[in-house]
Amino acid sequence: MVKYAMAVDLDRCQGCRACMEACKIENNTVESVFWMYVFRLESGEFPDTKMSFLPRPCQHCDNAPCVKVCPVGARFKREDGLVLTDADRCIGCRYCELACPYGVNYFNWTKPEKRQYLDYDHPDVERVTGGVMPPYKNPDLDQLYGEEQRLTAGGGHFKGVMEKCTFCVHRLDKGLDPACVHTCPVQALIFGDLEDPSSGIAEMINDRTHFRLLEEVGTEPSVLYFGGAAPTEDSREIETVKARV
Amino acid sequence: MATATHEATLPRGVGRLTRGWIVFVVAMVAISALGWFAYVREYTEGMTVTGMRNVGTMGGATWGLYITFVVYFVGVSFAGITIAAVIRLFNLQTLRPLARMAEVLTVVSLVLGAIAIVADLGQPLRGIVNLFRYARPQSPFFGTFTMVIAGYLFASLVYLWLTSRRDASLLAERPSRLRWLHRFVAAGYTDTPVERERHSKATFWLAVSILPMLVVAHSTLGFVFGLQVGRPGWYSALMAPAFVVLAGVSGTGLLIVLAAIVRKTMAKDVGLTTEVFAWLGRFMMFLLMIYVYFMVTELLTATYAGSARELQVTREMLWGEYSWIFWTSVALLVVPLIGLGFQAIARTWNIPWLVVAGIAVNLGAIGKRYLIAVPSQTHGQLLPYVDGSYAPSWIEYAVVASLTAFGALVIGVFMKVLPIVEIDGEEEVANA
Repeated sequence: MVKYAMAVDLDRCQGCRACMEACKIENNTVESVFWMYVFRLESGEFPDTKMSFLPRPCQHCDNAPCVKVCPVGARFKREDGLVLTDADRCIGCRYCELACPYGVNYFNWTKPEKRQYLDYDHPDVERVTGGVMPPYKNPDLDQLYGEEQRLTAGGGHFKGVMEKCTFCVHRLDKGLDPACVHTCPVQALIFGDLEDPSSGIAEMINDRTHFRLLEEVGTEPSVLYFGGAAPTEDSREIETVKARV
Repeated sequence: MATATHEATLPRGVGRLTRGWIVFVVAMVAISALGWFAYVREYTEGMTVTGMRNVGTMGGATWGLYITFVVYFVGVSFAGITIAAVIRLFNLQTLRPLARMAEVLTVVSLVLGAIAIVADLGQPLRGIVNLFRYARPQSPFFGTFTMVIAGYLFASLVYLWLTSRRDASLLAERPSRLRWLHRFVAAGYTDTPVERERHSKATFWLAVSILPMLVVAHSTLGFVFGLQVGRPGWYSALMAPAFVVLAGVSGTGLLIVLAAIVRKTMAKDVGLTTEVFAWLGRFMMFLLMIYVYFMVTELLTATYAGSARELQVTREMLWGEYSWIFWTSVALLVVPLIGLGFQAIARTWNIPWLVVAGIAVNLGAIGKRYLIAVPSQTHGQLLPYVDGSYAPSWIEYAVVASLTAFGALVIGVFMKVLPIVEIDGEEEVANA
């Protein structure tokens, strides 16, 4: 049985946020939605400050609080470890978002067409594209995946439903790594099968120590952090994220 | 008016449309319509028109005023049916005039709670179907839907109907435009001793079974918050009991207000004596004392030994962004408690003062519900997100106002259709 997991090498991460960008392009997420997010943190008092980076995809927990609270079973855990949202079933109560201690869930507050980075109806854009270029949509996202054959990939950009990181379920289906892992220029993100002893991630577990985020809340995440240190009470973001809709 | 002479003979103002009542209905319909307009906008544009946003990078609160009022409305329903059941179980004759309006208050506020939940859903139509089709008992929401909305609303409706049959049959004896309705509600009941005995038994056992259901149902609403370890400020065993108690406080407060209005509008004395209000006042005082005790316990636990994140939420509530709501709510709960205490000691009960206290504790309860739902979302995130903020938009205010107006409207219409105060003993329709 496959058991997917992601390793994050904090000693390598340089906070370039290329993974965030790759995720956006791959999954066509709209404005102010970050399925993958990289914290740029500082701690300590000037002049003794320290900077650190912390990539935060969905943790795909083995004991996922979001799965537990979903009143309709739209959020579910697959046998291979993925925690996914069925966009056809979600009723938009947003309980999963509140149950999740990591803040990885994003609700579609309005129609996705209204939140594109580029206004495709703008005259200037139309002049360049001749009106023939619609917003890019990854065709793989509309397919059904897994044994369950449910609408779980990023195709669920519908008004009034939840969405979050899928570990690029549509790419895994083709045997590819998630987009963020594929893009990372310094190989700080490693994806693999925990059950396969020859996978890179299994070797890393043997060689090095790791921690998981918020171990104390008992969520059993599938994202393992190597090197570096977990954020402390003192950690704060160096920039204010202006990402409101 | 020719028809008016018929209805003038019906007791408890049933069927008599006064000018004041018509003005009230028009006003309530207008406010309800405004809410509908707001909701249609929300439905077509998406929930982006509300003040709610995602927690985390978006820095908002994803549950806001709607959930606050879901909890508040369901809370109000608690006291109504509890008091009605207590009156039935302990056969408190002096309080009998309260029973009917308490039941109506319960049914109406539960319906409002259900509507408020649907208004909060991103996919309301899908929600109505899927919540039943794919119901998962593991979700704390399940209790809210099955026990509160389905079970307890249904039980309350049956209870209301059983206790209304006798009055309806009495009214059906008189000719009026509403006769068909009274016949329908009476459903063949003719007030024979055998029927009376059977109803008395049925309502007794229904009351016995409603009471535990109430506590469970209201606790599940507390569990929606209390079982979440990922939100500092929510994870607490006290959440469920505190919900039940504050529910009782707000419901009793509203019942006092409703009883005072009924007393004022009824042409003749219907038995709503100062003694009845004194009982309600003492009941509310007792519940308030328990709630204030819970509040102090919870604050002490959170500030004395709380984790850093827990402390951050508490600090924000006591001295930060939410402090004005917190301290206003505390004042709105504590000052009435002191006032009630004085009246209880002096044994003199002032009805206008009780009404003020009833309104005050309801505002306080709304404030406390808001403080349970919102601060834990905008502050104290377990990962180092920047603090968020939340302010309801006019759409949310309009929908909530419209729901409240709709509730008032239903109660107002009910008063003109069936007696809001039971017709007691041998007091017959003829001499009304």
